[in-house]
Amino acid sequence: MSAEQVLYQSPLMYRVLREASGALVLEAVVGGIAMYSVRVRLDEREAAAYASEGAAFSDRLAKAIMADPSFGGRAYEV
Amino acid sequence: MTRSFRCLLVATALAAGCGQPAADPAKKTEPTKQAEPAKQAEPAKTEPAKTEPAKTEPAAPPTPTPPAVSTGACDEKQAKLSAEADARAQPYGIVQHLEKNFPDMKVSWLMKETPYQNFVVKTAAKNFGRCDDSGCYLFAAPTAVIEDAVKKSMTGDKHDAAVLGKALGLPAKNFEGPLRMMTLDLRATNSCVRLPVDSDPGVWKCQSAEDKDCFKFGGYTSGGVPEVMVLNAPVDKAEVKEIP
Repeated sequence: MSAEQVLYQSPLMYRVLREASGALVLEAVVGGIAMYSVRVRLDEREAAAYASEGAAFSDRLAKAIMADPSFGGRAYEV
Repeated sequence: MTRSFRCLLVATALAAGCGQPAADPAKKTEPTKQAEPAKQAEPAKTEPAKTEPAKTEPAAPPTPTPPAVSTGACDEKQAKLSAEADARAQPYGIVQHLEKNFPDMKVSWLMKETPYQNFVVKTAAKNFGRCDDSGCYLFAAPTAVIEDAVKKSMTGDKHDAAVLGKALGLPAKNFEGPLRMMTLDLRATNSCVRLPVDSDPGVWKCQSAEDKDCFKFGGYTSGGVPEVMVLNAPVDKAEVKEIP
């Protein structure tokens, strides 16, 4: 049984997951001719924004991660 | 030329069985043309017997002329973006880019196994790339370049991420673990292709000249590999190969 749950799968090649701990994670595919994925754990403010805005917020967050795959040091590779 | 000499010429020509009036200068030149070797090879149309040289000396098979490169079927939005990109890249452009780097119109790209499974297989994606309401956007490189890099990186039955990264001018970590190599023949799919632009989904703009895993406008990755933006690359038309 998976320890995480997929809350939202986007055609923009990212998905929002809920980890077993309850934390929200955004996993995004980054890169160009060589693609890989990274994850960023949402902080409280981001989790609240996702709860209220849904995909509109996660789209913005995913694009920000794709535009900066290290995401200020917060991203980790899967 | 005297009249008596002209009469002598006419008489000589008639005596030789020539039915053409010798006084017609245009007709006089015809025998010279018919004597040219190039003309002798053609008589197949009028004198079948003379076509035999073609049997004894078979004509070389026609050199296959590869179809010209094509930017595929771009909708209005993509055509506009492509025109803007070409204007920015002047005097270069997508057609010159394809002719120079993608003459066979075959493109490839790599994906780590995990995202391939999570974002292509599990989702039963119809098109590769990042999709929004306007289409699915995919960066791709010449198949020959990717193939060559993968080949060089193989040690035994596994690839060496450092070698592959170096060959493609990207960090080795991008290639660690099992990979998938996708190949698409753009002539078969007629997918729209253009120079990638800053606003394309997935673009990570370079912050400095040293950055090696980011987007630079002009049709080449920051590592110097030719790249194009492919719109709506169909999954069912792609060849997918495992790279252990």
